[in-house]
Amino acid sequence: MSSVFALVVALVVAVLGYRWYAGYIDANVIKADPKRATPAKMYMDGVDFIPTGRHVLFGYQFKSIAALGPITGPIVAMKWGWLPALAWILGGALLFGWAHDYASAFLTIRNDGQSFGALSYRLISPRGRATLLAFIYFYLLLILAAFGSIVANMLVKNPVVPVAIVALMITGTLAGQAIYRKRMDIIAVTLVMVALSLVGVWLGTIWKIPIASFDLWLLFTLFFCYLGAVLPIWAYAQPINYISFYLVALGMLGAIIGIFLGRPPLTLPAYTGFFTKTGEPLWPLLFVTIACGAISGWHSLVSSSGTGRQIENERDVKYVAAGAMFTEMVLATLAVIIAAGAVGANGFAEAMKGGPANVFTQGMASLLGFLGIGQTFGVAFAGAMFAILAITIMQLVVRFMRVATVEIAGEKVPILGNMHVGALLALFLGYVLVKTGTWNYIWTLFGGSNQLMAALALMLASIWLAREGKAWGWTFYPMLFMLATTIVALAVTAHSMVFTVVPGLQAGTVVPPAGQSVAAAIAGNYIAAAIGVFLIVAALILAYDGLRAFFKVKGEKASQAAAPSHSA
Amino acid sequence: MPFWKKPKANLPKQEGQGEPAEGQSKEGLGSVVKQFVYGMAAHDMTRYALKTRSSMEHLFILITMGDLLGVPILPPYYSLRLLPYVVPQISTWKRRMLREKDLTDALF
Repeated sequence: MSSVFALVVALVVAVLGYRWYAGYIDANVIKADPKRATPAKMYMDGVDFIPTGRHVLFGYQFKSIAALGPITGPIVAMKWGWLPALAWILGGALLFGWAHDYASAFLTIRNDGQSFGALSYRLISPRGRATLLAFIYFYLLLILAAFGSIVANMLVKNPVVPVAIVALMITGTLAGQAIYRKRMDIIAVTLVMVALSLVGVWLGTIWKIPIASFDLWLLFTLFFCYLGAVLPIWAYAQPINYISFYLVALGMLGAIIGIFLGRPPLTLPAYTGFFTKTGEPLWPLLFVTIACGAISGWHSLVSSSGTGRQIENERDVKYVAAGAMFTEMVLATLAVIIAAGAVGANGFAEAMKGGPANVFTQGMASLLGFLGIGQTFGVAFAGAMFAILAITIMQLVVRFMRVATVEIAGEKVPILGNMHVGALLALFLGYVLVKTGTWNYIWTLFGGSNQLMAALALMLASIWLAREGKAWGWTFYPMLFMLATTIVALAVTAHSMVFTVVPGLQAGTVVPPAGQSVAAAIAGNYIAAAIGVFLIVAALILAYDGLRAFFKVKGEKASQAAAPSHSA
Repeated sequence: MPFWKKPKANLPKQEGQGEPAEGQSKEGLGSVVKQFVYGMAAHDMTRYALKTRSSMEHLFILITMGDLLGVPILPPYYSLRLLPYVVPQISTWKRRMLREKDLTDALF
């Protein structure tokens, strides 16, 4: 199959889904009303609630939802073949993904700009809020571990990348000083710093750092996250994200042009069977392996706490939330093409030894090669792009976990109120998980928690729709599917860790990950399995409370409809 | 007219549909691209800068005018001197201070 054909199919699905399905729900179910005051207008404070133009918000939403998820998930899912991955990306985004993002935004907009914590308190139960917030904490911890592990693995395999990352950090920090401190012209600063970053990428191809130590690169990555979590955000994290955005945009544009110029065929097997070689079943594991690109709980947080409070006109929600989701679906399709086409049958197995990030860098370099860009420069460029996408999210996560630690335990243990202690604690927990865990399982747990978050968002949306007397099937049935799939996926993963991997490690039939002792690997599997069990319990509590609330609301609505009118 | 531009037959056109928002003129492609790039590259920077400034301001107002929210602070002489400058911000300040927040607010 031609990669161009896959891309065209994705574009067609995006256009049809956006115009017909999303258009129908927007006009007939939600009835987006341009005259209705949004929270951004009602509660405008110039900070959280601020009416913002739809094109700006589309860019903001897309940037916030599209990080590593839509790239890594499809690459990992190649173990079932590219066809199931592509089918889930297109079908998931069409039937579930856009509805989830769109409904999450409307939940906030039609509920006075409330965030998910407050909404679960009101719509589900007081216990629902506490469970949700504990759940989010572990979800973020898994993001930290999964992304940290990917980046460290990629740096081990690609000695041309570290200098490029350091160059990006330096140019970004300088950009921050130039823009905020010296108040220099932002366009000039941007042009100079982007050019210097590209020079840094080129220098990386000359000054290679061939250190094959996973530990060292993991600490290197976590150190950047530490700086991002404790330094003023304007001085470090933001300007780096700003400058790297241009590199990411250039890379994505180059990859798309490369696909059309090179038209690489998808040479990996379309379907390898229901079970992988290691016995992982397609259902439910594919549906948690690929989250972003099809449906992802992260988006609900962006849509509610971020975008929902800035929407100026209800008619913009479809464009911003559903539009960004369908665009991300196209990005995930690009990742499938990179894995199955640009790397392809000849190099995928070898590249996958360095993890999905390595596949991405090799594939991107191949696509950029169609534009005449050298392979080594392409690898350095793609590697820096990948690492910065990961570190951007990791910095945000560590910063959030630091705040959460203070909120949860700051009063009882005052030392946790210190920002360095809070940040180091978050990094330590992530480090322990990476060092002892098996990456495959961490990714599955992360995907599972992400999809559970999505199911919970859909549940909140369904309860709200039922309360409002609106059609709720378009969020309720996807919620049931996601809830069942992810709980089973987490149970399968936890079971595999405890009853297959641990005995295998003890018997010597399973080899621990490189650099890990058998004892550490066993401990890690138990820790990860415990997190999996915790997520399942939290999900079951929320599902029980949520479904009870949903059917209670439905029953009340039905009895109201059946009751005779007493009006004169 | 191509099919994807055809208005939905079963839907009456609502007021405001397809029209630029109040105070905005019809946008050209250049403007759309400019806004999109700004949204992706710099909008969150702007928001963080605004949040930082607002946190400092709100802390200052809380210290000087906390009694407006029932915080038992001694009403100092300088609060009265500052009051005229704080008045325009009092409504949004109260709303932000009293709004229910949770951990997800720290993310975005």
